[in-house]
Amino acid sequence: MTYMKVAISNLRRNPVRSVLTGLSLAVSAATLCVVLSLDRGYTRAVTEELVAKTGVHMYITKEGCPIEAASVIAQGGLSPLYVAEDMTHKVSAVPEVDVVLPFKLFAITTEDGSRTDIFMGITKEIEKIKPEWRYEKGGWFTSDTSVILGGEMARIENLGIGDKMYSEHFDREFVVAGILPRYYSQDDGTFFIPLKTAQELVDRQGKLSAIAIKLKDISTLDATRNQIRASMPPDYYVLGSKELGEGILEFFGSTRVVLYIMAGVAILISIFSIVNTMLMAVLERRREIAYLKCVGAGAGDLLHLISLETLVICITASAAGAITGSFISPIFGRIMRRYLIAFVPSGSISQPDFAIALVSFIICLVVGVACSLYPAFRASRIVPMEVLRNE
Amino acid sequence: MNDQTALKLEKATKFYHRGTETVHAVDNISLAIENGDYCTIVGPSGSGKTTLMNLMGCLDHPTSGKVWVNGKEIERADEKVLTRMRQTSIGFVFQQFFLIPTLTVLENVQLPSLFARKAATEHAKELLTLVGLANRLDHLPGQLSGGEMQRVAIARSLVNSPPIVLADEPTGNLDSRNAEMIMGLFDKLHESGMTIVVVTHNEHLAGKGGKTIAIEDGKITN
Repeated sequence: MTYMKVAISNLRRNPVRSVLTGLSLAVSAATLCVVLSLDRGYTRAVTEELVAKTGVHMYITKEGCPIEAASVIAQGGLSPLYVAEDMTHKVSAVPEVDVVLPFKLFAITTEDGSRTDIFMGITKEIEKIKPEWRYEKGGWFTSDTSVILGGEMARIENLGIGDKMYSEHFDREFVVAGILPRYYSQDDGTFFIPLKTAQELVDRQGKLSAIAIKLKDISTLDATRNQIRASMPPDYYVLGSKELGEGILEFFGSTRVVLYIMAGVAILISIFSIVNTMLMAVLERRREIAYLKCVGAGAGDLLHLISLETLVICITASAAGAITGSFISPIFGRIMRRYLIAFVPSGSISQPDFAIALVSFIICLVVGVACSLYPAFRASRIVPMEVLRNE
Repeated sequence: MNDQTALKLEKATKFYHRGTETVHAVDNISLAIENGDYCTIVGPSGSGKTTLMNLMGCLDHPTSGKVWVNGKEIERADEKVLTRMRQTSIGFVFQQFFLIPTLTVLENVQLPSLFARKAATEHAKELLTLVGLANRLDHLPGQLSGGEMQRVAIARSLVNSPPIVLADEPTGNLDSRNAEMIMGLFDKLHESGMTIVVVTHNEHLAGKGGKTIAIEDGKITN
């Protein structure tokens, strides 16, 4: 005979209630696990996308551009802000600069809103700046109407080299010059066209979305950024790619707050549920607890017993919730990708792992066990004489 | 108080409040029950016999007066001391059995030994054999009759080997055949040297004990 055996036996007396109590905590653990997975996944994916996969060390944009850029990438439409193309030459003259890539980025959404195509006007410098840039098929633009397809777009459009692609929006026909492999990045869903063509299509000749810069030596980043910043007009931003990532993550902040509030509410509900259930369990067993005191159970024994009952529920439910949360968080990642956030990086924006599951488990376990303290205290304070006399 | 006294009350009173009314449940009672006595406390409902038993069982402190259990005065004893006395000195049997429905018969009997930090599996089996339930060890309380459940409760009250057994209306929920069987068990325990105190309002059962204390309105009347 052990305390654990008695605790489990007590839980078995009302299995539906025990399961429902556990369920509320499991939902909390799962929610927390999903939120943590999404938060970390999104942060990592953005950092990876903007810092590692682009090969860009620095961007020159117009004031307000980090959010603007995110908005353009996600929502389509043209930014009213632009960088003058002649700045490219100024930047190229800086000795520490290795590659300068001027680009024009815009997105076109179909009339029914069902599809958004991202176009990026580029120059051949992209081959030097992107570390993974290569062609699955074909190669560089052969004319002003050439297009290079991201790997996913080629698959969706079912196009091959030399095929023609008609854009209803621009009433323009493009010829596929190259197809990129799948990078699992934003590039997969992008139509790359010559910079001049892109500027012409949206009537922004001589205007750029931004200038991407690769340095010869990354250790000169701060000095070079200051040098370039000093040579630019005051309303121009010179941002490290890391800063741009941080800007986008700041933009994600409001979504993050909502997610954490959801997790907090779920935990709060489970706190009330556990306290209520365990208190009910104590109150309806007052006579029995009084009898246990008669046969020698002290206050400590009853604290031990009630806490163990809660502990059994909390361990089981928190573990089940954390595991479930790990499995379902990619589903929420897909939902978030579709509806919730402006800038969608490539790869999974939900990255559950053992550490996140463990943190969710521990937080919910601690919360659950803390919830048992008051009911356990009430049980320990039952005066057998009063109960036996009055009930 | 001599060494032979199991329970002693000296001018013990217990008042409690029910709404605006003050109930004199035990009113200036003095008595002594020697080791090995078989005593029945009789009286009508509400006469104070259960309150008297609770004072004897260290479940409550007297409002005034003194109570000794196994030679220890409980008036100033704190909750820990009272708990320890309930573990070691007294076995309780109640009318409602209070068996835990999801524990087996054997586990129910072992339960008080858990709180006393004792291993008592073999002793519990011996006690269940004593009460005639050796073949019911793994049954759940729901599979037993009322008489069987009370026998389990008696076995449970004995598992920590207390010298005193206090039984409050132990036959109140039983038919006459089972009631006779339970009283027979108490006889057997008495013969083995235990001190037995049975509270009942059943006059027929009252005559079973060697000593009878009649109580009415909180006072001893015989």
